[in-house]
Amino acid sequence: MIVDVNAYLGHFAFRRLRHNTAASLLALMDSKGIDKAVVSSADAITYRNAQAGNEELAEEVRGHSDRLIPYAVVNPFYAGWQDDLKICREEFGMAGLRLYPKWHNYQLSSPCCKELVDAATEQGMVISIPIRVEDNRERSWLLNVPDVPLEEIIEIVKAHPKARFILLNGLGYTGSPLGRKDNGLPANYAIELSRLSAVLANEIGQYIANLGAERLMFGTGMPFNYPDPALVKLEVLDAGEADKEKIRSQNAMGWLRL
Amino acid sequence: MSILRTISSSSEPEPRVSRRTLLKDSAALAMGAAALPLARGAAVEQPVTAASGSLLGKGKVIDCHAHLNHHSRKTWEADDRKLIEAADKLGIDQLCCSTLTPHWPASLDGFRECNKWTAEGMKRFPGRVLGYCYVNPGYGRETLEEIRRYVGDGGFMGIKLYNEYLCTDPVVYPIVELAIELGVPILHHASHSHYFVEDQPRLTDGGHLAELARRYPEAMLICAHISGGGDWEWTIKAARHAPNLMLDTSGSVTDAGTVDMAAAVVGVDRLVFGCDSSMTAGIGKIRGADLAAQDKQKILGGNMMRLLGRRKA
Repeated sequence: MIVDVNAYLGHFAFRRLRHNTAASLLALMDSKGIDKAVVSSADAITYRNAQAGNEELAEEVRGHSDRLIPYAVVNPFYAGWQDDLKICREEFGMAGLRLYPKWHNYQLSSPCCKELVDAATEQGMVISIPIRVEDNRERSWLLNVPDVPLEEIIEIVKAHPKARFILLNGLGYTGSPLGRKDNGLPANYAIELSRLSAVLANEIGQYIANLGAERLMFGTGMPFNYPDPALVKLEVLDAGEADKEKIRSQNAMGWLRL
Repeated sequence: MSILRTISSSSEPEPRVSRRTLLKDSAALAMGAAALPLARGAAVEQPVTAASGSLLGKGKVIDCHAHLNHHSRKTWEADDRKLIEAADKLGIDQLCCSTLTPHWPASLDGFRECNKWTAEGMKRFPGRVLGYCYVNPGYGRETLEEIRRYVGDGGFMGIKLYNEYLCTDPVVYPIVELAIELGVPILHHASHSHYFVEDQPRLTDGGHLAELARRYPEAMLICAHISGGGDWEWTIKAARHAPNLMLDTSGSVTDAGTVDMAAAVVGVDRLVFGCDSSMTAGIGKIRGADLAAQDKQKILGGNMMRLLGRRKA
Protein backbone atom coordinates (compact mmCIF):
# COMPACT_ATOMS: atom_id res chain seq x y z
CA MET A 1 0.00 0.00 0.00
CA ILE A 2 1.29 3.43 -0.95
CA VAL A 3 -0.42 6.65 0.11
CA ASP A 4 0.68 9.89 -1.53
CA VAL A 5 -0.01 12.91 0.70
CA ASN A 6 1.08 15.41 -1.95
CA ALA A 7 -0.99 15.34 -5.16
CA TYR A 8 -3.12 17.78 -7.13
CA LEU A 9 -5.84 18.04 -9.75
CA GLY A 10 -6.64 20.85 -12.15
CA HIS A 11 -4.56 23.43 -13.95
CA PHE A 12 -1.62 25.55 -12.87
CA ALA A 13 -1.50 29.06 -14.26
CA PHE A 14 2.09 28.97 -15.46
CA ARG A 15 2.66 25.50 -16.87
CA ARG A 16 0.62 22.78 -18.52
CA LEU A 17 0.08 19.77 -16.32
CA ARG A 18 -0.61 16.27 -17.57
CA HIS A 19 -2.46 13.61 -15.57
CA ASN A 20 -4.46 16.38 -13.92
CA THR A 21 -7.97 14.94 -14.09
CA ALA A 22 -9.25 12.33 -11.69
CA ALA A 23 -9.29 9.68 -14.39
CA SER A 24 -5.82 10.41 -15.70
CA LEU A 25 -4.28 10.77 -12.24
CA LEU A 26 -5.79 7.44 -11.21
CA ALA A 27 -4.34 5.85 -14.34
CA LEU A 28 -0.93 7.27 -13.45
CA MET A 29 -1.29 6.03 -9.88
CA ASP A 30 -2.18 2.57 -11.17
CA SER A 31 0.90 2.51 -13.36
CA LYS A 32 3.10 3.43 -10.40
CA GLY A 33 1.46 1.28 -7.75
CA ILE A 34 0.15 4.22 -5.74
CA ASP A 35 -3.11 3.31 -4.01
CA LYS A 36 -4.42 6.56 -2.58
CA ALA A 37 -3.60 10.22 -2.94
CA VAL A 38 -4.47 13.40 -1.09
CA VAL A 39 -5.43 15.91 -3.76
CA SER A 40 -6.17 19.62 -3.77
CA SER A 41 -6.98 22.08 -6.52
CA ALA A 42 -3.98 23.38 -8.45
CA ASP A 43 -6.19 26.16 -9.84
CA ALA A 44 -6.92 27.39 -6.32
CA ILE A 45 -3.29 28.39 -5.94
CA THR A 46 -3.81 31.32 -8.31
CA TYR A 47 -7.57 31.83 -8.27
CA ARG A 48 -8.43 34.91 -6.24
CA ASN A 49 -11.46 33.05 -4.90
CA ALA A 50 -9.91 29.73 -3.95
CA GLN A 51 -13.32 28.25 -3.17
CA ALA A 52 -14.04 28.00 -6.90
CA GLY A 53 -11.11 25.59 -7.11
CA ASN A 54 -12.48 23.58 -4.20
CA GLU A 55 -15.84 23.31 -5.97
CA GLU A 56 -14.15 22.06 -9.13
CA LEU A 57 -12.16 19.56 -7.11
CA ALA A 58 -15.25 18.25 -5.31
CA GLU A 59 -16.90 17.66 -8.66
CA GLU A 60 -13.82 15.98 -10.12
CA VAL A 61 -13.24 13.48 -7.31
CA ARG A 62 -16.91 12.47 -7.05
CA GLY A 63 -17.11 8.69 -7.27
CA HIS A 64 -13.42 8.22 -6.45
CA SER A 65 -13.47 8.77 -2.71
CA ASP A 66 -11.92 5.35 -2.14
CA ARG A 67 -8.67 6.56 -3.68
CA LEU A 68 -8.67 10.35 -4.01
CA ILE A 69 -8.85 12.24 -0.72
CA PRO A 70 -9.76 15.89 -1.37
CA TYR A 71 -8.23 18.71 0.67
CA ALA A 72 -9.48 22.30 0.61
CA VAL A 73 -7.41 25.34 -0.26
CA VAL A 74 -8.56 28.17 1.99
CA ASN A 75 -7.29 31.74 2.10
CA PRO A 76 -8.05 33.19 5.54
CA PHE A 77 -7.81 36.74 4.21
CA TYR A 78 -10.55 36.24 1.61
CA ALA A 79 -14.15 37.16 2.33
CA GLY A 80 -16.34 34.28 3.40
CA TRP A 81 -13.58 31.82 4.23
CA GLN A 82 -15.55 30.58 7.26
CA ASP A 83 -18.45 29.67 4.97
CA ASP A 84 -16.05 28.05 2.52
CA LEU A 85 -14.45 25.96 5.26
CA LYS A 86 -17.85 24.76 6.46
CA ILE A 87 -18.94 23.82 2.93
CA CYS A 88 -15.65 22.04 2.21
CA ARG A 89 -15.83 20.06 5.44
CA GLU A 90 -19.52 19.29 5.62
CA GLU A 91 -20.69 19.18 2.01
CA PHE A 92 -17.55 18.17 0.14
CA GLY A 93 -16.17 15.88 2.86
CA MET A 94 -12.73 17.46 2.71
CA ALA A 95 -10.75 16.24 5.68
CA GLY A 96 -7.86 18.63 5.45
CA LEU A 97 -6.50 21.95 4.23
CA ARG A 98 -3.67 23.19 2.10
CA LEU A 99 -2.37 26.65 2.93
CA TYR A 100 -0.46 28.91 0.52
CA PRO A 101 0.62 31.89 2.65
CA LYS A 102 3.10 33.25 0.12
CA TRP A 103 0.89 32.77 -2.94
CA HIS A 104 -2.13 34.21 -1.13
CA ASN A 105 -0.08 36.94 0.52
CA TYR A 106 -0.65 36.49 4.24
CA GLN A 107 1.40 35.58 7.29
CA LEU A 108 1.04 32.22 8.99
CA SER A 109 1.31 34.11 12.25
CA SER A 110 -1.57 36.49 11.46
CA PRO A 111 -4.73 36.40 13.59
CA CYS A 112 -6.84 35.40 10.60
CA CYS A 113 -4.64 32.40 9.91
CA LYS A 114 -4.70 31.49 13.60
CA GLU A 115 -8.47 31.54 13.47
CA LEU A 116 -8.49 29.26 10.42
CA VAL A 117 -6.04 26.78 11.94
CA ASP A 118 -8.05 26.68 15.16
CA ALA A 119 -11.32 26.18 13.29
CA ALA A 120 -9.87 23.40 11.14
CA THR A 121 -8.29 21.71 14.16
CA GLU A 122 -11.58 21.87 16.00
CA GLN A 123 -13.05 19.83 13.16
CA GLY A 124 -10.21 17.33 13.15
CA MET A 125 -8.80 18.53 9.83
CA VAL A 126 -5.14 18.03 8.89
CA ILE A 127 -3.35 21.16 7.69
CA SER A 128 -0.76 20.74 4.99
CA ILE A 129 1.57 23.52 3.96
CA PRO A 130 3.49 23.32 0.67
CA ILE A 131 6.82 25.06 1.27
CA ARG A 132 6.90 25.82 -2.46
CA VAL A 133 4.87 25.17 -5.59
CA GLU A 134 7.69 25.26 -8.12
CA ASP A 135 11.38 26.01 -8.26
CA ASN A 136 11.78 29.76 -8.00
CA ARG A 137 14.34 29.90 -10.82
CA GLU A 138 11.70 28.92 -13.37
CA ARG A 139 9.15 31.47 -12.22
CA SER A 140 7.10 33.57 -14.61
CA TRP A 141 8.07 37.17 -15.27
CA LEU A 142 4.77 38.12 -13.62
CA LEU A 143 5.61 37.17 -10.07
CA ASN A 144 8.19 36.20 -7.50
CA VAL A 145 6.74 34.01 -4.78
CA PRO A 146 9.29 32.96 -2.16
CA ASP A 147 9.35 29.61 -0.39
CA VAL A 148 7.76 29.54 3.07
CA PRO A 149 10.68 30.00 5.49
CA LEU A 150 11.07 27.12 7.94
CA GLU A 151 11.24 29.69 10.75
CA GLU A 152 7.60 30.56 10.02
CA ILE A 153 6.71 26.87 10.12
CA ILE A 154 8.35 26.54 13.51
CA GLU A 155 6.26 29.40 14.83
CA ILE A 156 2.96 27.96 13.63
CA VAL A 157 3.62 24.44 14.97
CA LYS A 158 4.54 25.98 18.32
CA ALA A 159 1.46 28.20 18.34
CA HIS A 160 -0.94 25.32 17.61
CA PRO A 161 0.17 22.24 19.55
CA LYS A 162 -3.18 20.52 19.03
CA ALA A 163 -3.17 21.02 15.27
CA ARG A 164 -1.65 18.45 12.89
CA PHE A 165 0.56 19.74 10.10
CA ILE A 166 2.04 17.98 7.07
CA LEU A 167 4.87 19.91 5.45
CA LEU A 168 5.08 19.39 1.68
CA ASN A 169 7.72 20.14 -0.96
CA GLY A 170 10.36 21.20 1.54
CA LEU A 171 13.94 20.33 2.35
CA GLY A 172 16.68 21.42 4.72
CA TYR A 173 14.74 20.37 7.81
CA THR A 174 17.76 18.76 9.42
CA GLY A 175 19.46 22.14 9.31
CA SER A 176 16.61 23.64 11.31
CA PRO A 177 15.05 22.72 14.68
CA LEU A 178 12.23 21.01 12.75
CA GLY A 179 14.51 18.10 11.92
CA ARG A 180 16.58 17.93 15.09
CA LYS A 181 16.23 15.56 18.00
CA ASP A 182 14.91 17.01 21.27
CA ASN A 183 13.92 20.21 19.53
CA GLY A 184 11.34 21.23 22.10
CA LEU A 185 8.65 21.43 19.44
CA PRO A 186 5.34 19.62 19.69
CA ALA A 187 5.22 16.37 17.74
CA ASN A 188 2.34 17.76 15.70
CA TYR A 189 3.99 17.84 12.30
CA ALA A 190 5.09 15.32 9.73
CA ILE A 191 7.35 15.84 6.74
CA GLU A 192 6.70 14.65 3.22
CA LEU A 193 9.75 13.37 1.37
CA SER A 194 9.47 14.41 -2.28
CA ARG A 195 12.39 16.87 -2.08
CA LEU A 196 14.46 15.14 0.59
CA SER A 197 17.61 13.26 -0.35
CA ALA A 198 17.88 9.50 0.16
CA VAL A 199 21.54 9.26 -0.86
CA LEU A 200 24.61 11.53 -0.48
CA ALA A 201 23.48 13.88 2.35
CA ASN A 202 20.61 11.42 3.00
CA GLU A 203 18.30 13.85 4.75
CA ILE A 204 15.62 11.17 5.03
CA GLY A 205 17.98 8.92 6.96
CA GLN A 206 19.01 11.78 9.23
CA TYR A 207 15.41 12.67 9.84
CA ILE A 208 14.52 9.07 10.75
CA ALA A 209 17.47 8.97 13.15
CA ASN A 210 16.50 12.25 14.78
CA LEU A 211 12.72 12.14 14.96
CA GLY A 212 11.73 8.64 13.90
CA ALA A 213 10.11 7.20 10.80
CA GLU A 214 6.71 7.98 12.33
CA ARG A 215 7.16 11.60 11.31
CA LEU A 216 7.79 11.00 7.61
CA MET A 217 5.25 10.51 4.85
CA PHE A 218 5.45 9.53 1.23
CA GLY A 219 4.53 12.15 -1.34
CA THR A 220 5.26 12.85 -4.97
CA GLY A 221 3.90 16.25 -5.91
CA MET A 222 2.22 14.72 -8.94
CA PRO A 223 1.14 15.86 -11.45
CA PHE A 224 3.50 18.82 -11.00
CA ASN A 225 6.29 16.29 -10.54
CA TYR A 226 7.09 12.92 -11.96
CA PRO A 227 6.11 10.48 -9.20
CA ASP A 228 9.13 8.28 -9.88
CA PRO A 229 11.84 10.27 -8.08
CA ALA A 230 9.97 9.88 -4.79
CA LEU A 231 9.44 6.18 -5.48
CA VAL A 232 13.15 5.75 -6.21
CA LYS A 233 13.96 7.39 -2.86
CA LEU A 234 11.97 4.70 -1.08
CA GLU A 235 13.70 1.99 -3.06
CA VAL A 236 17.24 3.09 -2.25
CA LEU A 237 16.63 4.34 1.28
CA ASP A 238 18.76 2.55 3.87
CA ALA A 239 15.98 1.78 6.32
CA GLY A 240 14.27 -1.30 7.64
CA GLU A 241 11.14 -2.58 6.01
CA ALA A 242 9.08 -1.65 9.05
CA ASP A 243 10.19 1.98 8.79
CA LYS A 244 9.62 2.01 5.05
CA GLU A 245 6.11 0.72 5.55
CA LYS A 246 5.40 3.53 7.99
CA ILE A 247 6.60 6.06 5.44
CA ARG A 248 4.91 4.35 2.51
CA SER A 249 1.43 4.29 4.05
CA GLN A 250 0.99 3.62 7.75
CA ASN A 251 1.73 7.12 9.00
CA ALA A 252 -0.58 8.72 6.48
CA MET A 253 -3.32 6.18 7.13
CA GLY A 254 -3.19 7.03 10.82
CA TRP A 255 -3.11 10.77 10.37
CA LEU A 256 -5.79 10.79 7.69
CA ARG A 257 -7.90 8.22 9.55
CA LEU A 258 -8.22 6.06 6.48
CA MET B 1 45.58 6.95 -20.35
CA SER B 2 43.38 6.56 -23.37
CA ILE B 3 39.69 7.17 -23.24
CA LEU B 4 39.14 3.60 -24.40
CA ARG B 5 40.84 2.30 -21.31
CA THR B 6 38.99 4.79 -19.19
CA ILE B 7 35.64 3.65 -20.46
CA SER B 8 36.36 -0.01 -19.79
CA SER B 9 34.70 -0.66 -16.48
CA SER B 10 36.68 -2.87 -14.15
CA SER B 11 34.46 -2.84 -11.11
CA GLU B 12 30.88 -3.99 -11.32
CA PRO B 13 28.98 -3.01 -8.17
CA GLU B 14 25.62 -4.46 -7.31
CA PRO B 15 23.04 -1.82 -8.13
CA ARG B 16 20.10 -1.32 -5.80
CA VAL B 17 18.04 -0.29 -8.80
CA SER B 18 18.70 -2.56 -11.71
CA ARG B 19 18.36 -1.35 -15.24
CA ARG B 20 15.32 -3.45 -15.77
CA THR B 21 13.74 -1.86 -12.75
CA LEU B 22 14.99 1.51 -13.82
CA LEU B 23 13.35 1.36 -17.18
CA LYS B 24 9.97 0.09 -16.22
CA ASP B 25 7.26 1.64 -14.18
CA SER B 26 7.56 0.96 -10.51
CA ALA B 27 4.36 -0.90 -9.85
CA ALA B 28 6.46 -3.49 -8.07
CA LEU B 29 6.98 -0.98 -5.31
CA ALA B 30 3.37 -1.39 -4.34
CA MET B 31 4.27 -4.85 -3.19
CA GLY B 32 7.08 -3.56 -1.05
CA ALA B 33 10.81 -3.43 -1.44
CA ALA B 34 11.08 -7.19 -1.23
CA ALA B 35 9.58 -7.40 -4.69
CA LEU B 36 12.41 -5.45 -6.27
CA PRO B 37 15.03 -7.34 -8.21
CA LEU B 38 18.38 -6.77 -6.61
CA ALA B 39 20.74 -9.02 -8.48
CA ARG B 40 22.56 -7.43 -11.34
CA GLY B 41 23.39 -10.62 -13.14
CA ALA B 42 19.84 -11.70 -13.74
CA ALA B 43 18.40 -8.36 -14.67
CA VAL B 44 21.11 -6.38 -16.36
CA GLU B 45 22.80 -6.69 -19.65
CA GLN B 46 26.51 -6.54 -19.15
CA PRO B 47 28.00 -3.26 -20.29
CA VAL B 48 29.83 -3.49 -23.58
CA THR B 49 33.15 -1.88 -22.94
CA ALA B 50 35.06 0.24 -25.36
CA ALA B 51 37.84 -2.33 -25.35
CA SER B 52 35.48 -4.93 -26.74
CA GLY B 53 35.05 -2.90 -29.86
CA SER B 54 31.64 -1.29 -29.46
CA LEU B 55 31.11 2.09 -27.95
CA LEU B 56 27.35 1.78 -28.11
CA GLY B 57 27.14 -0.45 -25.09
CA LYS B 58 23.58 -1.51 -24.47
CA GLY B 59 22.65 -1.13 -20.87
CA LYS B 60 25.43 1.17 -19.78
CA VAL B 61 24.30 4.09 -17.63
CA ILE B 62 26.50 7.19 -17.71
CA ASP B 63 25.90 10.29 -15.63
CA CYS B 64 27.06 13.05 -17.96
CA HIS B 65 27.13 15.69 -15.23
CA ALA B 66 28.73 14.90 -11.88
CA HIS B 67 31.21 16.54 -9.55
CA LEU B 68 33.95 15.42 -7.25
CA ASN B 69 34.36 17.50 -4.13
CA HIS B 70 36.82 20.35 -3.77
CA HIS B 71 39.50 19.44 -1.27
CA SER B 72 38.87 22.49 0.84
CA ARG B 73 35.82 20.60 2.02
CA LYS B 74 36.83 18.64 5.11
CA THR B 75 34.76 15.63 4.17
CA TRP B 76 35.75 15.58 0.49
CA GLU B 77 37.12 12.08 0.49
CA ALA B 78 34.13 10.53 2.26
CA ASP B 79 31.77 12.57 0.11
CA ASP B 80 33.44 11.35 -3.06
CA ARG B 81 32.96 7.79 -1.82
CA LYS B 82 29.30 8.56 -1.12
CA LEU B 83 28.91 9.65 -4.72
CA ILE B 84 30.17 6.28 -5.91
CA GLU B 85 28.02 4.46 -3.37
CA ALA B 86 24.98 6.38 -4.57
CA ALA B 87 25.84 5.47 -8.15
CA ASP B 88 26.10 1.83 -7.06
CA LYS B 89 22.65 1.93 -5.49
CA LEU B 90 21.12 3.53 -8.54
CA GLY B 91 22.82 1.39 -11.16
CA ILE B 92 24.93 4.17 -12.62
CA ASP B 93 28.05 2.71 -14.19
CA GLN B 94 30.09 5.79 -14.85
CA LEU B 95 30.11 9.42 -13.81
CA CYS B 96 31.57 12.20 -15.92
CA CYS B 97 33.04 14.41 -13.22
CA SER B 98 34.60 17.79 -12.90
CA THR B 99 35.89 19.43 -9.78
CA LEU B 100 34.89 23.06 -9.50
CA THR B 101 36.47 25.87 -7.56
CA PRO B 102 34.37 27.10 -4.62
CA HIS B 103 34.46 30.67 -5.92
CA TRP B 104 34.15 32.19 -9.38
CA PRO B 105 35.74 33.30 -11.56
CA ALA B 106 38.18 30.44 -11.21
CA SER B 107 41.82 31.44 -11.02
CA LEU B 108 44.49 29.68 -13.08
CA ASP B 109 45.89 27.97 -10.00
CA GLY B 110 42.36 27.22 -8.86
CA PHE B 111 41.28 25.24 -11.91
CA ARG B 112 44.69 23.58 -12.29
CA GLU B 113 44.34 22.26 -8.75
CA CYS B 114 40.81 21.05 -9.49
CA ASN B 115 41.91 19.15 -12.59
CA LYS B 116 44.74 17.51 -10.66
CA TRP B 117 42.20 16.31 -8.12
CA THR B 118 39.87 15.05 -10.86
CA ALA B 119 42.78 13.04 -12.29
CA GLU B 120 43.42 11.60 -8.84
CA GLY B 121 39.73 10.77 -8.55
CA MET B 122 39.88 8.83 -11.81
CA LYS B 123 42.66 6.75 -10.28
CA ARG B 124 40.81 6.24 -6.99
CA PHE B 125 37.69 5.06 -8.83
CA PRO B 126 39.03 3.46 -11.99
CA GLY B 127 36.43 2.91 -14.65
CA ARG B 128 33.78 4.71 -12.62
CA VAL B 129 34.93 8.32 -12.79
CA LEU B 130 35.57 9.95 -16.16
CA GLY B 131 37.08 13.41 -16.13
CA TYR B 132 36.04 16.77 -17.49
CA CYS B 133 38.80 19.34 -17.65
CA TYR B 134 37.43 22.48 -16.01
CA VAL B 135 38.89 25.76 -17.24
CA ASN B 136 38.30 29.48 -17.17
CA PRO B 137 38.51 30.61 -20.83
CA GLY B 138 40.02 33.93 -19.78
CA TYR B 139 43.52 32.53 -19.37
CA GLY B 140 44.07 32.07 -23.10
CA ARG B 141 47.21 30.08 -23.84
CA GLU B 142 47.36 28.56 -20.34
CA THR B 143 43.77 27.42 -20.67
CA LEU B 144 44.48 25.62 -23.92
CA GLU B 145 47.62 24.05 -22.44
CA GLU B 146 45.59 22.77 -19.53
CA ILE B 147 43.10 21.14 -21.89
CA ARG B 148 45.88 19.54 -23.94
CA ARG B 149 47.52 18.25 -20.75
CA TYR B 150 44.40 16.62 -19.31
CA VAL B 151 42.23 15.86 -22.32
CA GLY B 152 44.89 15.38 -24.95
CA ASP B 153 47.34 13.42 -22.80
CA GLY B 154 45.59 12.69 -19.52
CA GLY B 155 42.59 10.69 -20.66
CA PHE B 156 39.91 13.18 -19.63
CA MET B 157 36.74 12.75 -21.68
CA GLY B 158 35.68 16.36 -22.13
CA ILE B 159 35.76 20.01 -21.15
CA LYS B 160 33.65 21.72 -18.51
CA LEU B 161 32.88 25.41 -18.77
CA TYR B 162 31.08 27.36 -16.08
CA ASN B 163 29.92 30.97 -15.90
CA GLU B 164 33.12 32.94 -16.28
CA TYR B 165 32.15 33.96 -19.82
CA LEU B 166 29.11 33.77 -22.02
CA CYS B 167 29.69 30.87 -24.37
CA THR B 168 29.31 33.23 -27.34
CA ASP B 169 32.22 35.39 -26.18
CA PRO B 170 35.09 35.10 -28.71
CA VAL B 171 37.41 34.16 -25.84
CA VAL B 172 35.62 30.80 -25.80
CA TYR B 173 36.14 30.06 -29.52
CA PRO B 174 39.67 28.62 -29.25
CA ILE B 175 38.41 26.17 -26.64
CA VAL B 176 35.62 25.02 -28.94
CA GLU B 177 38.11 24.66 -31.78
CA LEU B 178 40.42 22.59 -29.59
CA ALA B 179 37.49 20.41 -28.47
CA ILE B 180 36.70 19.79 -32.16
CA GLU B 181 40.34 18.93 -32.81
CA LEU B 182 40.36 16.45 -29.93
CA GLY B 183 36.86 15.16 -30.67
CA VAL B 184 35.49 15.69 -27.15
CA PRO B 185 32.30 17.27 -25.81
CA ILE B 186 31.97 20.51 -23.88
CA LEU B 187 29.54 20.52 -20.96
CA HIS B 188 28.50 24.13 -20.42
CA HIS B 189 26.73 25.43 -17.32
CA ALA B 190 23.49 27.03 -18.44
CA SER B 191 20.28 28.50 -17.12
CA HIS B 192 17.48 30.70 -18.37
CA SER B 193 15.41 32.62 -15.86
CA HIS B 194 13.04 35.49 -16.61
CA TYR B 195 15.01 37.80 -14.36
CA PHE B 196 18.60 38.92 -14.15
CA VAL B 197 20.67 36.49 -12.09
CA GLU B 198 22.82 38.96 -10.22
CA ASP B 199 25.44 36.56 -8.95
CA GLN B 200 26.00 35.13 -12.45
CA PRO B 201 26.19 38.12 -14.80
CA ARG B 202 27.72 36.03 -17.60
CA LEU B 203 25.26 33.20 -17.35
CA THR B 204 24.94 31.24 -20.59
CA ASP B 205 21.54 29.92 -21.63
CA GLY B 206 20.29 27.44 -24.19
CA GLY B 207 19.90 30.18 -26.76
CA HIS B 208 23.54 31.19 -26.46
CA LEU B 209 24.59 27.57 -26.77
CA ALA B 210 22.41 27.09 -29.85
CA GLU B 211 24.14 30.12 -31.38
CA LEU B 212 27.56 28.66 -30.59
CA ALA B 213 26.48 25.27 -31.96
CA ARG B 214 25.46 26.88 -35.25
CA ARG B 215 28.81 28.66 -35.45
CA TYR B 216 30.64 25.37 -34.89
CA PRO B 217 28.49 22.57 -36.34
CA GLU B 218 31.28 20.02 -35.75
CA ALA B 219 31.38 20.76 -32.02
CA MET B 220 29.67 18.51 -29.49
CA LEU B 221 28.04 20.85 -26.99
CA ILE B 222 26.02 19.84 -23.94
CA CYS B 223 23.63 22.32 -22.35
CA ALA B 224 23.80 21.56 -18.64
CA HIS B 225 20.94 20.68 -16.31
CA ILE B 226 17.70 21.53 -18.06
CA SER B 227 16.05 20.52 -14.77
CA GLY B 228 17.94 23.02 -12.68
CA GLY B 229 18.38 25.79 -15.16
CA GLY B 230 15.28 27.90 -14.84
CA ASP B 231 12.52 27.76 -17.45
CA TRP B 232 13.16 24.38 -19.06
CA GLU B 233 10.43 24.84 -21.66
CA TRP B 234 12.28 27.93 -22.92
CA THR B 235 15.58 26.09 -22.97
CA ILE B 236 14.23 23.11 -24.89
CA LYS B 237 12.63 25.36 -27.50
CA ALA B 238 15.78 27.46 -27.81
CA ALA B 239 17.83 24.33 -28.52
CA ARG B 240 15.53 22.94 -31.19
CA HIS B 241 17.36 24.07 -34.33
CA ALA B 242 20.91 23.32 -33.19
CA PRO B 243 21.42 19.64 -33.98
CA ASN B 244 24.87 19.44 -32.39
CA LEU B 245 23.61 20.76 -29.06
CA MET B 246 22.73 18.05 -26.56
CA LEU B 247 20.55 18.62 -23.51
CA ASP B 248 21.60 17.24 -20.14
CA THR B 249 18.59 16.12 -18.08
CA SER B 250 20.22 16.73 -14.71
CA GLY B 251 19.14 19.03 -11.89
CA SER B 252 17.05 18.92 -8.76
CA VAL B 253 13.77 19.91 -10.43
CA THR B 254 11.48 16.95 -11.11
CA ASP B 255 8.76 18.72 -13.11
CA ALA B 256 6.68 16.15 -14.93
CA GLY B 257 6.94 16.42 -18.68
CA THR B 258 10.47 17.78 -18.87
CA VAL B 259 12.10 14.75 -20.45
CA ASP B 260 9.02 14.05 -22.55
CA MET B 261 8.98 17.55 -24.01
CA ALA B 262 12.72 17.49 -24.63
CA ALA B 263 12.37 14.17 -26.45
CA ALA B 264 9.49 15.50 -28.53
CA VAL B 265 11.16 18.77 -29.48
CA VAL B 266 14.85 17.93 -29.98
CA GLY B 267 14.60 14.12 -30.21
CA VAL B 268 15.88 11.39 -27.91
CA ASP B 269 19.20 11.24 -29.72
CA ARG B 270 20.06 14.66 -28.32
CA LEU B 271 19.36 13.92 -24.67
CA VAL B 272 21.97 12.76 -22.19
CA PHE B 273 21.20 11.56 -18.69
CA GLY B 274 22.72 13.41 -15.79
CA CYS B 275 22.23 14.03 -12.09
CA ASP B 276 24.45 16.94 -11.05
CA SER B 277 24.32 15.46 -7.54
CA SER B 278 20.50 15.15 -7.55
CA MET B 279 20.74 11.41 -7.89
CA THR B 280 17.25 10.07 -7.30
CA ALA B 281 15.77 13.00 -9.20
CA GLY B 282 18.02 12.22 -12.14
CA ILE B 283 17.08 8.55 -12.30
CA GLY B 284 13.43 9.13 -11.45
CA LYS B 285 12.86 11.61 -14.27
CA ILE B 286 14.05 9.15 -16.88
CA ARG B 287 12.03 6.37 -15.37
CA GLY B 288 8.95 8.57 -15.27
CA ALA B 289 9.17 9.77 -18.85
CA ASP B 290 6.63 8.30 -21.21
CA LEU B 291 9.21 6.95 -23.65
CA ALA B 292 10.05 3.55 -25.08
CA ALA B 293 12.67 1.52 -23.22
CA GLN B 294 15.13 1.75 -26.09
CA ASP B 295 14.80 5.52 -26.12
CA LYS B 296 15.44 5.66 -22.39
CA GLN B 297 18.51 3.52 -22.92
CA LYS B 298 19.82 6.01 -25.44
CA ILE B 299 19.37 8.81 -22.94
CA LEU B 300 20.85 6.85 -20.05
CA GLY B 301 24.04 5.94 -21.79
CA GLY B 302 23.85 5.24 -25.49
CA ASN B 303 24.01 8.85 -26.57
CA MET B 304 26.91 9.64 -24.27
CA MET B 305 28.76 6.58 -25.54
CA ARG B 306 28.26 7.92 -29.04
CA LEU B 307 29.83 11.24 -28.05
CA LEU B 308 32.74 9.54 -26.29
CA GLY B 309 33.29 7.39 -29.35
CA ARG B 310 34.03 10.43 -31.48
CA ARG B 311 37.24 11.15 -29.65
CA LYS B 312 40.15 11.43 -32.03
CA ALA B 313 43.30 9.46 -31.38
